[in-house]
Amino acid sequence: MFENLLSIMIFVPIVAGLAAFVLPLSRDAARIIGLAVSVIVVLLGIKVFLAFSGASGGFEFVEYVPINDSLGIAYSLGVDGISILVLAAAATLFPMVYLLFQTKEKGYYANLLIVQGAMIGAVAATDMVLYYVFWEVMLLPVFFMIGLYGGPNRLPATIKITIYTIAGSLLMLASIIYLGISYHAQSGEWSFAMANLSKMSLTGPTATLAFVGFMVAFAIKIPLFPFHTWLPDAYTEAPTATTFVLSAVMAKIGVYGVIRFVVPVFDESFARYALILACSGVIGMMYCGIAALAQKDFKRMLAFSSASHMGIIALGIFCMNIQALTGTLFQIVAHATSTGVLFLLLGIIEERTDTRNIDDFGGLASRAPIFALFFAVAMLASVGLPGTSGFIGEFLIILGAVKFNPLIAVFAGTTLIIGVCYMLWLFQRVFFEKPNSKLAGFADLSAIETLTILPIVILIVVMGIYPQPFLAKIEPSAERQLALIERVQQVAEYRLEVTNPGQELKTGDL
Amino acid sequence: MQDIMAILPLVATATGAILMMLAAAFESFKKEGISILGIGLFAFAFFVQLTVENGAPITPYGTIFNGMLVTSTFTKVAGLIILACGFFSAIASQTYFTQNEGFVLEYYCMMLFAACGMLLLTMAAELITLFIALEIMSLAIYVLIASDRRSVLRSEAVLKYLMLGAFAGAFFVMGSVFIYAGAKSTRFADIGRVIAESGFLTNPALVGGSLLILVALLFKAAAFPFHAWVVDVYDGAPLPVTGFMATAVKTAVFAVFANFLMINGELQQGWVSYLFYISVLTMFVGNLIAIGQNSLKRMLAASGIVHSGYLIIALVAINSEQFNGSTILFYLAAYAASTLGIFAALSYLGGEGEKRHSFDDFNGLAKVRPYSAACIAIFLLSMAGIPPTAGFMGKFYIIAGAFKSGYISLGVLGIISSILSMWYYLRLIIVMYFREPEEDFGVSELQLAPLGTFVLALSVFAISFIPVVI
Repeated sequence: MFENLLSIMIFVPIVAGLAAFVLPLSRDAARIIGLAVSVIVVLLGIKVFLAFSGASGGFEFVEYVPINDSLGIAYSLGVDGISILVLAAAATLFPMVYLLFQTKEKGYYANLLIVQGAMIGAVAATDMVLYYVFWEVMLLPVFFMIGLYGGPNRLPATIKITIYTIAGSLLMLASIIYLGISYHAQSGEWSFAMANLSKMSLTGPTATLAFVGFMVAFAIKIPLFPFHTWLPDAYTEAPTATTFVLSAVMAKIGVYGVIRFVVPVFDESFARYALILACSGVIGMMYCGIAALAQKDFKRMLAFSSASHMGIIALGIFCMNIQALTGTLFQIVAHATSTGVLFLLLGIIEERTDTRNIDDFGGLASRAPIFALFFAVAMLASVGLPGTSGFIGEFLIILGAVKFNPLIAVFAGTTLIIGVCYMLWLFQRVFFEKPNSKLAGFADLSAIETLTILPIVILIVVMGIYPQPFLAKIEPSAERQLALIERVQQVAEYRLEVTNPGQELKTGDL
Repeated sequence: MQDIMAILPLVATATGAILMMLAAAFESFKKEGISILGIGLFAFAFFVQLTVENGAPITPYGTIFNGMLVTSTFTKVAGLIILACGFFSAIASQTYFTQNEGFVLEYYCMMLFAACGMLLLTMAAELITLFIALEIMSLAIYVLIASDRRSVLRSEAVLKYLMLGAFAGAFFVMGSVFIYAGAKSTRFADIGRVIAESGFLTNPALVGGSLLILVALLFKAAAFPFHAWVVDVYDGAPLPVTGFMATAVKTAVFAVFANFLMINGELQQGWVSYLFYISVLTMFVGNLIAIGQNSLKRMLAASGIVHSGYLIIALVAINSEQFNGSTILFYLAAYAASTLGIFAALSYLGGEGEKRHSFDDFNGLAKVRPYSAACIAIFLLSMAGIPPTAGFMGKFYIIAGAFKSGYISLGVLGIISSILSMWYYLRLIIVMYFREPEEDFGVSELQLAPLGTFVLALSVFAISFIPVVI
């Protein structure tokens, strides 16, 4: 049975979700099914994580069933150091949703189940076509969750996110087909297996177009500046559990995609445009950080904050060195846990007070100390305080950025301070200052809620103090992935020389 | 004897049609009985077609009946798709006419005759046979559209189709005459030989003749610039007939297209650059028309134009060495399953006199009839090419074929076109799921169409597992 661990993790949620749609279940029954399935997936996920050695840097837990021999399309799954932490995030975070939000409709829980299965599938797929199938299937439940159960302005938000992501993914489909055709042209046989395709190194104008196709798809999903405009609306209008899924896991699958496909196959294009992409990551950080400062809506602020932190995660990929890449892979989980917890806590506030306006809050810390403590830990991890998981990842990324381009590193490091500003300010306004009378009845976390969130909070601290077990699983694969592009890195001509802005100006010109 | 065996499905369909015509003459047969008989005959013909042994690869050069007809795996599968389309259209018709006026007892007879013409079309390997088949199909379709003589809408639709269709037929005959003048034969094999010997572009009669034939075929395939009739005619026809036209006629015409262009590589090369632009324009003009529609039927008609555009991409990419037509057939099967599915669903959801026809009439369908809405959503996603449906695999194979033959830009334009088409497919899903219901979409009696819809929804997933060689 345990040979097909990944398949079980993918299809148990999907089948359960479809069954919940079709069968006339009550809301509670659907929720309990969801909870049971997600706990099973967590257990299996932990088993995979522990059994995964990572030493070889190659795929483990491999499954392979050919689907279309003539085109080399196969149902093939596997996990390596690049996907293991994303997989862990997708597998372990879901039970919280079923425990914390008990009042949704049946279809909502069914959609959550399907989206979980599809996300695990997208991370575990080692065949491009299979990956694409899961990638699209992942989108549909989100479409329905926002459109059916979202906030008052949900329709425009739904249409925006759907059109954006479908446009991106269809461009990616063209690029995937192009990769398959190129492999056929180079080797004479058909294959869409990632292991085969990543051996290729494509150059030339068409390859650049294919590179753009991939990059746009992933940049929309991450989202990377300037493709982030769907994010504030979608994150704000989505029901909180969906926002949680989007920010904690789905955005990470975009990052994962870049590392997995774009870096090895389009090494040359990637190296050539890395600086521009890194800049776009930093601009996104700054822009969303400043936008977060100005928000009055709690959820919208967290949305911008999440986008801002995705900027630095993206930056880590574009620096093309081992520190930054390891940092990115680590930060994927760090961000998923910290931002995830923030969104979940926000969801609890929203359910209890029916408001998201920051001005309506105040003095929560005295009324709900446990709630405030959890929020504080997640917030500090989100801003990267040493001793929390956020510090390790962001430190590694900035370290890598210094090696890549000191100027970028300076900007990125400075921007992190904006993050501290809006987060601490938010914390002050919500949890301290004078208590707001509207919040008189605000109860602290119940025992179930506390126990639900506690493991994640502990994980945040553990990952901050003792990151070694996680890093050890990532590093061999990260090195292997980078070795694929080392050839290009050594060629100096692909590294754009950065001129310091204004350094050619003479004092007289000013 | 072998010849007879090869056309057994054709014989079965034609016999069935005549049987139906006789049955319609007896008063004792009522609407219900005739419907069941019609559905049964389509099912029977389908199984006959299924049992015909045929492993030959695609070729336009016929051997049976003195080179008049050709049979291959390609024609067999095309025939299967056509008969399946007929079967499901017949099921949809049964339900449709419980709520709508205008049923005549000869209705199923005409459907069978049309299917008969289509089967002949897929097998034709000679121009005169082709013309006869084309007319058998067209005449039957004209009658089907206008079977309700009292309806002004139907009469207008059939008049438009008949006038333009007559022109197309005339073009076809004229083209055949030119080709006969150039090649001294109407058989595909001889034409191919003449082109191989003397060249295609050096022979003006062949160039002109094949141009005229292409015009006629493009008209039947609803491709730009001969697409103007589609929206009005599809809108005017009874719903199941529209579904039948959109799927079975398209299958037959594209089978002919593939056969005709396969005659000779040079002939196909001669038209590739035109087909290239035609496919791009067909896709984008179709999208523009579809985006503006408020009526579902008109939107589906316009989206049919877009799908013709995708199929022409596959025709452009024919020139790869091991072409076997499976890409085209796969796409047609996927498209037929999803389109017929929607028409089958509409045939029972449309209500009396097709009273629900616009997007807004289906507000909140998912809240009242969740299973029907889910099926329609599956069909729409398949048409839009979203995995894991058959429509996705169809698009995948077509784009891969285009890339493989070096038409990168065509493939990319196809992708862009499907991004545009998301607009009107998503619109119906949004209307069905995100609006509040205004009525109960009641269906009074036990009917077949819901069952057919369900089977088609399953087949949308099942078809995607059929392996295809590009």
